[in-house]
Amino acid sequence: MQKLTCLFSLFTFMIVGSWVAANEVVSETVVSGLNNPCGVAIQPKTGHVFVANSGAGTICRIENGKAVPVITDFPIDVYGKGPKYNIGPLGLAFYGDGHLVVGGGGYKDGEELLRLYEVPAVGSSIKADAMVSSMKLAPTEEIKGEGNFYAVAVAGDSVFVSCNGDDTKGWVSKATIKDGKFSGYARNIATKEAVEVDAPVGLTIDPKNGHIVVGQMGEITVPGDGLLTFYSAGNGEMLANFETGLSDITSVAYDTKSYQMYALDFNWIDTKAGGLYHLTKATVDGEPGVECTKVMALDKATAMVIASDGHAYVTVIGTAEGDQLGGKLLKIKLPEIE
Amino acid sequence: MKFKLNMGAGVFTGLLVILAIGAMGNDDFKLEIPKGLKKLKIPRDNRLTLEKIQLGKQLYFDKRLSKDQTISCASCHDPNKGWSNGETFATGIDGQKGGRNSPTIINSGYQVFQFWDGRALHLEGQALGPIQNPIEMGLSLDELEKRLNGIEGYVLQFKNVFGNKPNSGDVAKAIAAFERTVLSGNSPYDQYKDGDTKALSEAAERGRRVFFNKAQCSACHAGSNFTDGAFHNIGIGFDGSSPDLGRFVETQVEGDKGSFKTPTLREIARSGPYMHDGSFKTLEAIVDYYNKGGNANPQLDEEIFELNLTDQQKKDLIVFLKEGLSSANYPTVDPPALPK
Ligand code: HEC
Ligand code: HEC
Repeated sequence: MQKLTCLFSLFTFMIVGSWVAANEVVSETVVSGLNNPCGVAIQPKTGHVFVANSGAGTICRIENGKAVPVITDFPIDVYGKGPKYNIGPLGLAFYGDGHLVVGGGGYKDGEELLRLYEVPAVGSSIKADAMVSSMKLAPTEEIKGEGNFYAVAVAGDSVFVSCNGDDTKGWVSKATIKDGKFSGYARNIATKEAVEVDAPVGLTIDPKNGHIVVGQMGEITVPGDGLLTFYSAGNGEMLANFETGLSDITSVAYDTKSYQMYALDFNWIDTKAGGLYHLTKATVDGEPGVECTKVMALDKATAMVIASDGHAYVTVIGTAEGDQLGGKLLKIKLPEIE
Repeated sequence: MKFKLNMGAGVFTGLLVILAIGAMGNDDFKLEIPKGLKKLKIPRDNRLTLEKIQLGKQLYFDKRLSKDQTISCASCHDPNKGWSNGETFATGIDGQKGGRNSPTIINSGYQVFQFWDGRALHLEGQALGPIQNPIEMGLSLDELEKRLNGIEGYVLQFKNVFGNKPNSGDVAKAIAAFERTVLSGNSPYDQYKDGDTKALSEAAERGRRVFFNKAQCSACHAGSNFTDGAFHNIGIGFDGSSPDLGRFVETQVEGDKGSFKTPTLREIARSGPYMHDGSFKTLEAIVDYYNKGGNANPQLDEEIFELNLTDQQKKDLIVFLKEGLSSANYPTVDPPALPK
């Protein structure tokens, strides 16, 4: 497998080499100096970009090239055993135009909150505890409590959340919203039982058929074990599961216009090899599979959303230089796909 | 004496097999995967053939692969001892001991990372390590090739299997091919999972629930081979003064300090003593260790914490490990006759 992956990435690298030359990827830094940003979302009507400035414990709106805190004072925790990252709020998604769903990462498992906010008006800010509604997944006698709500995706009145508490099950959980409040939050899909690999992290909804799409991160100490899995939103049944050869998928997203899929690979043990990938259907060893083509290298990419104009907004933790924090929001013009 | 006789007979049948194959060509060997295990990936450049597996088996059991001809792979990975060897630290040539316990090689074909610290990849990348290791078998690759080229039976078999003279690369391939056939599945747990609700005793079934839920064992001992193939610090050795840093030595990543590869738990009742340092003699002691939350240290995995298991839950968990994961089709292999 290791060898296959190596060959595979060499191969894709060669393709990218020629492809990029013909179809250059343009990227610009929208904001720098962020502190471990781990979530990004676009407000549907205004097109405003919001970022979870995780290590700083804030949610920011991007205004004139600046990250302006609009929800502040989230609790902060440490992730990892070295390297270590401060994390607070993680996943972001809009529910309609006026509500923002925020997945937390700063509390202990079992006490972690999924929160729903009314989006503060331009020029104003609120505290993290001023949510309109919140939910948690407490432990039971047999099941560990949930935490690190990494990615959130809204489908109608449902919110799907990738969780990282109970490593025996790897839950994608599901909240429902009724009358502008959460009406329920429960463990929904035991992804680890389905695919036998840890950690649902990247998560999105297939825009055509509403399926839940999960980027399974796998083990951070194992390269190339990332999976792309499709589940029915109705009954949580696994529909398809593919090896990707990617190491640590942090985000999956669709360019809805072209119906193309993209993923971010953080690549924990070799972050220099991480980046943005274009995922396409392929035949692998005579069976349906996925081919991942690198679009560009990224320094510890954490979250992505693709705007309707075909630009990807990507958060990266980056590398600190002196006092300057390495976190950035990038705007990437995705290559045209025929 | 009996051994010699056997060897003679073996060479004879060995030759017959070779002649028969010479006419047929070496076909791909259809490996039977026991119930509960996944399809095994076979490297494209090391297809399985019956002849290659037989050659690999001979090499695996052949003490002539060590400098003083006293140690074979099977000395430390013995089919009669859970494919481990019952010692805290295995003994190599000249009675030398290393600092790590011999892991079982059962189902090792499923692992990308080999060794406790994952310093070798795939079985092919592992096999020549112990042969050259001065405290294990202590034979240089030059000496190995010279020795094998002096054994007519091997020269014939390498010619048949690989089309050339014995060489170290093909030694690794043949041994790896043999190791891929050492599989354990179809345990009571697998039968239970397949729908036979009677396959586990009541205690083992209760223990199964504990394993996959309250005790969090499947956070790491996951999937069909009861390992996530990854590295974790569960605190072993951190009650002493200079713990083995394990994976960290390979990667220099701080978080890997004291991390070791999660071992399979299949046939665990047979393969003690346990852990990278052989420090646990019994499964009872291991369950107590996990239950208290391991030995605290900065890199201790998040999944290791006080479990608050009741005495009954601990007992049931152990029954599950012992009964549930021991197969009636344990891979027994008799030492083959060796070529002359
Ligand atoms: C002197 C005892 C000894 C001999 C001889 C020996 N080994 Fe090992 N083997 C070990 C020890 C100890 C380890 C673990 C070492 C480590 O992780 O640093 C090991 C690890 C392995 C592993 C990795 C298993 C895993 O789960 O990571 C494989 C496979 C293996 N040996 C195969 C072989 C083969 C094939 C031979 C013969 C060519 C052989 N060994 C000879 C002691 C021995
Ligand atoms: C955080 C991951 C993790 C969890 C959770 C975990 N293990 Fe382990 N287990 C390991 C690792 C890693 C080793 C090897 C550690 C070493 O040698 O330093 C191991 C070793 C073992 C061994 C010894 C195997 C051998 O061949 O030496 C047994 C038995 C075992 N674990 C059983 C369990 C049981 C039972 C549970 C649940 C109570 C459990 N483990 C929970 C990671 C884990």
